[in-house]
Amino acid sequence: MVQFHEHMISDLIEEPPNGSGLVVLSSGLALSKLISSLLLLHSPSQGTLLLLSPPSSSSLKSQVLHYNNHTIGEISADLPAHQRLSLYSSGSAFFITARILIVDLLTSKIPTSSIAGIFLLTAHSLSETSTEAFIVRILRSLNKNAYVRAFSDKPQSMVSGFAKAERTMKCLYIKRLHLWPRFQVYVSQELEKDPPDVVDIRVPMTKLMVGIQKAIIEVMDACLKEMRKTNKVDVDDLTVENGLFKSFDEIVRRQLDPIWHTLGKKTKQLVSDLKTLRKLLDYLDRYDAVTYLKYLDTLRVSESFRSVWIFAESSYKIFEYAKKRVYRFVKSDGTKWIGPSKISTGKKRKLKGGNDNEEAGGTSSSHTNISIVLDEVLEEAPKWKVLREVLEEIEEERRKQASTTEELLVGGGEDDSGIVLVACKDERSCMQLEECITNGPQKVMREEWEKYLLGKIELRDLHTRYKKKPKDPKGFGILDGVVPISPAKNVEPSSINKQEHDALVAAASEIRNRVKNDDVGNDPQPHVNSKGGGKGKGKGKGKARNKKGPTNANSGRIKDNRSNKIKKSSGDESDSENEADPSVAGGAWEATCQDASIDKGVLRKHTEAADATGSGTAKPLPPVHFYALESGQPILDILKPSVIVVYHPNMTFVREIEVHKAENPSKKLKVYFLFYEDSTEARKFEASIRRENGAFESLIRQKSMMMIPVDQDGYCLGLNSSVELQATPSQNSLTRKAGGRKEVEKEMQVIVDMREFMSSLPNVLHQKGMRIIPVTLEVGDYILSPLICVERKSIQDLFMSFTSGRLYHQVETMVRYYRIPVLLIEFSQDKSFSFQSASDIGDDVTPNNIISKLSLLVLHFPRLRVIWSRSLHATAEIFASLKANQDEPDETKAIRVGVPSEEGIVEDDVRAENYNTSAVEFLRRLPGVNDSNYRAIMDGCKSLSELALLPVERLSELMGGQKAARTLRDFLDAKYPTLL
Amino acid sequence: RNAILVSHRQKGNPLLKHIRNVRWAFADVVCDFLLGQSSCALYLSLRYHLLHPDYLYYRIRELQKTFKLRVVLCHIDVEDVVKPLLEVTKTSLLHECTLLCGWSLEECGRYLETIKVYENKPADIIQGQMDTDYLSRLTHALTTVRHVNKTDVVTLGTTFGSLSHIMDASMEDLARCPGIGERKVKRLYDTFHEPFKRVV
Repeated sequence: MVQFHEHMISDLIEEPPNGSGLVVLSSGLALSKLISSLLLLHSPSQGTLLLLSPPSSSSLKSQVLHYNNHTIGEISADLPAHQRLSLYSSGSAFFITARILIVDLLTSKIPTSSIAGIFLLTAHSLSETSTEAFIVRILRSLNKNAYVRAFSDKPQSMVSGFAKAERTMKCLYIKRLHLWPRFQVYVSQELEKDPPDVVDIRVPMTKLMVGIQKAIIEVMDACLKEMRKTNKVDVDDLTVENGLFKSFDEIVRRQLDPIWHTLGKKTKQLVSDLKTLRKLLDYLDRYDAVTYLKYLDTLRVSESFRSVWIFAESSYKIFEYAKKRVYRFVKSDGTKWIGPSKISTGKKRKLKGGNDNEEAGGTSSSHTNISIVLDEVLEEAPKWKVLREVLEEIEEERRKQASTTEELLVGGGEDDSGIVLVACKDERSCMQLEECITNGPQKVMREEWEKYLLGKIELRDLHTRYKKKPKDPKGFGILDGVVPISPAKNVEPSSINKQEHDALVAAASEIRNRVKNDDVGNDPQPHVNSKGGGKGKGKGKGKARNKKGPTNANSGRIKDNRSNKIKKSSGDESDSENEADPSVAGGAWEATCQDASIDKGVLRKHTEAADATGSGTAKPLPPVHFYALESGQPILDILKPSVIVVYHPNMTFVREIEVHKAENPSKKLKVYFLFYEDSTEARKFEASIRRENGAFESLIRQKSMMMIPVDQDGYCLGLNSSVELQATPSQNSLTRKAGGRKEVEKEMQVIVDMREFMSSLPNVLHQKGMRIIPVTLEVGDYILSPLICVERKSIQDLFMSFTSGRLYHQVETMVRYYRIPVLLIEFSQDKSFSFQSASDIGDDVTPNNIISKLSLLVLHFPRLRVIWSRSLHATAEIFASLKANQDEPDETKAIRVGVPSEEGIVEDDVRAENYNTSAVEFLRRLPGVNDSNYRAIMDGCKSLSELALLPVERLSELMGGQKAARTLRDFLDAKYPTLL
Repeated sequence: RNAILVSHRQKGNPLLKHIRNVRWAFADVVCDFLLGQSSCALYLSLRYHLLHPDYLYYRIRELQKTFKLRVVLCHIDVEDVVKPLLEVTKTSLLHECTLLCGWSLEECGRYLETIKVYENKPADIIQGQMDTDYLSRLTHALTTVRHVNKTDVVTLGTTFGSLSHIMDASMEDLARCPGIGERKVKRLYDTFHEPFKRVV
């Protein structure tokens, strides 16, 4: 624990009651440590402590668990009710999800007096209507002494919207806001007292990368300009700089959401295009050239006909450059093929015609033996080389040190651990970098490239085999370039596309042949084996990696296993493995290279160099650990590295390093940063710091003029207060009608489906003074009375369940079981109250229009009633008025409705939690699966992956029919149709 | 018989201009619009409702029980909708009318047209018969997993070749697909490998 954490804790705990408060701190300031120290202060005598964590923040959870040595239990729906009860009163700390907690609170399964308090770990995602607020309200009304501590390390999201911090505090009944920005005096003092050594390395990008980056930004700019033209959004926020961030989508969405349904297709497309472009920009730094190209290819296939940006002038450059990073075409006499570059300047529409003209020349030239030859460029990411250099430098330094102070090393070794940590953004880059270091970058590139080509050739084979009709011929002309499968049916086979494609295919088949040769040529290379020495295992791996095709998957797995092991195993073990690998793998690689005789000069030089270093000295590189920032492990505390290479700069991680250093002041820590010069990566990093500071400044301002009601202690809370508020205005009308006679207040009851606790309506209903009874309903979402059953649909839901047919079936069952079946169409408060603008309606009755679908539904279910609600609150009012003259619903009856009789056992009320809902939904969407057989399938096999392996006989047994089983099996095994 | 019969009451209603896809004629009918053998509609502008809150009730009472489908077509032409809409909702719900809302005369007109045109149409377009080609079925299934989009479906498809291979893929293999991040990998993997029933 660092000192400022102590400050935080003492500040927080002093506050009444029992230290409630909202803590907002800079990201990376070890929120998990703060929480775990707070947990240490908790003693069972105070009562049970509940940590509410949404499933999305599981990394935070795992970190907290790590610091507490996994002593914190978890209350999940798997536990039977009585066991949960005993846990609730046990007095220790537990993780729990909001849904279970709210249900248990509503069914009074929790002895609230034994709750000491709750922690909310992601305060930024709260709002007045969220379940957490609901929980806090109920808890406060039942137990006034419990504390509520909310935490957030995402200050940016605490300032989105109007006075968000203040509103959050109000709904949690919290009076104090604690702000701990990085620039806070205590924090900065402590972190800057003894900062780690930082080496900032700016890596220049290659020309093509710069080109791509520029092109993407141009396209983004163009998209933004288009956006402005729509006059729907505030222009100020629309800058390319903002466009780099995820939150940009939020800005746009927030502005557009109120009118989202009235927007034209084009604007919506623009919004999603901007998102795609942002991703492209991000991947440019992260992926190698080949993978990037591959991603672009898939993107083109999946988006081509809808997107606006793909048609833009500059976006053509993106594809062109991306391709050039991987390969280019050379005429066999050595001169560079100029065709493609010429095309790139031309207009695309014209291009088709131009192609045809050129073709005559093209065909003849290809016939006269000046065919195009594929020249691999395979540009490496510049950072790879730099990373290698950095690692070499580290090693050199270390060896120098070792030779001067040899004895010290033994003692110092423990303290200094000698671990080098490379931090990347995702697991994928980790694996790739690791391969890069062990095998050399060329090899990695080549592997990716081979995979890419093999992918292509496989697709082609499929085409010829299945005689698939060519997909999307319209997009073809525009796409030009790499979309290589110009199917055999193409009347003009020898266009430039074709030539390029041929070259690609030729290269691919060459590789494939080589693979076969490899297999054959394996044996007559004993001398390589001897070179590998006793490390047969390592060599085998190296070999396997060179083989493609059938062994591919296998070798991949081996590799993964190994990388996992390295990451997890402690120092020495990985030492030896790493040590062994480069030389061995290098040797093996060299041998196969010679065998296949396709090697390039560069390649051989590299392997020789690697070999030389490998055999000459003990090890060229220090042992390296790779860490993916996404995985959210407390890696610094686990490994205690002495050198950190930050491969993908990230603000949070930088802070973590700082904190780690401050915690271990005696330790020497050296940090290398790898930035691409002038890249969006660097800009993004700087902007993220700026944004956070901005967020804190605004929070500080907000704090200074915050208005928090005095009764925040929760003394007049609960049902009464809200009912009273409700009652006063209505009393006026009562005086007229009934002479002011006070109506006997009876508590209204609503039965609510468990699954509905994802939404905020139960919360609002409760605020209105209704009693919420959570159960699992087979039919409907809300039961208002024995007659009235409501299916709630938000707008998005409505559209989706119309297309999927879900709504039809839901209404069907509702109509079957209830006198007054109701479809509630609930609009969102901050979105527009309409489906579409008048101009979007069109001239004809079209089946896809929502009007048509709704009319059809109404026609088929004349008994269905429809409620149109402006907002959550309006819904609550409607519910209340509908219930006015009705009986209260019967819980037990409601549960039984619609439950198929074959599973006659009484269901536990947490049924929804007991199903892997997304898997069930997935299953039900597979062809051949229907309402009548999906249960049987679920009983018959455990999971989807198991289902994937079942033979057709077993399936037909489960599904009760040959035909359905065959349909399903065929779908599972169908070859993916190629679009590329 | 394939025309909408409009009550004389509706003479001068600008809504009539927007009924273009179906013929209509004035006639002596109790309801405002007679849309078919057993379906009819009443038209109500919210603004009018604010002036005459009882109008709707009397009109509905006039209808008696001769129709199977009784639509109250509510034209939302006021800004502050919550209260009047609540009243309209309650009245039509308790008197067995189906409420449909339109925000413009075009939309209201379209509802009338559509109900007339679709009078005898089967319900398959809302029963979830979607495109039957392989890709859209695959997309349909895979997109049940949250955050998986169409591009990812293509990526997964091309990488693994078939659905059964996707379902059987290891986490590492999933992670190798470009564009599929940590979270998606986890979601996909869980969907495929967690048992359907989590019962202990």
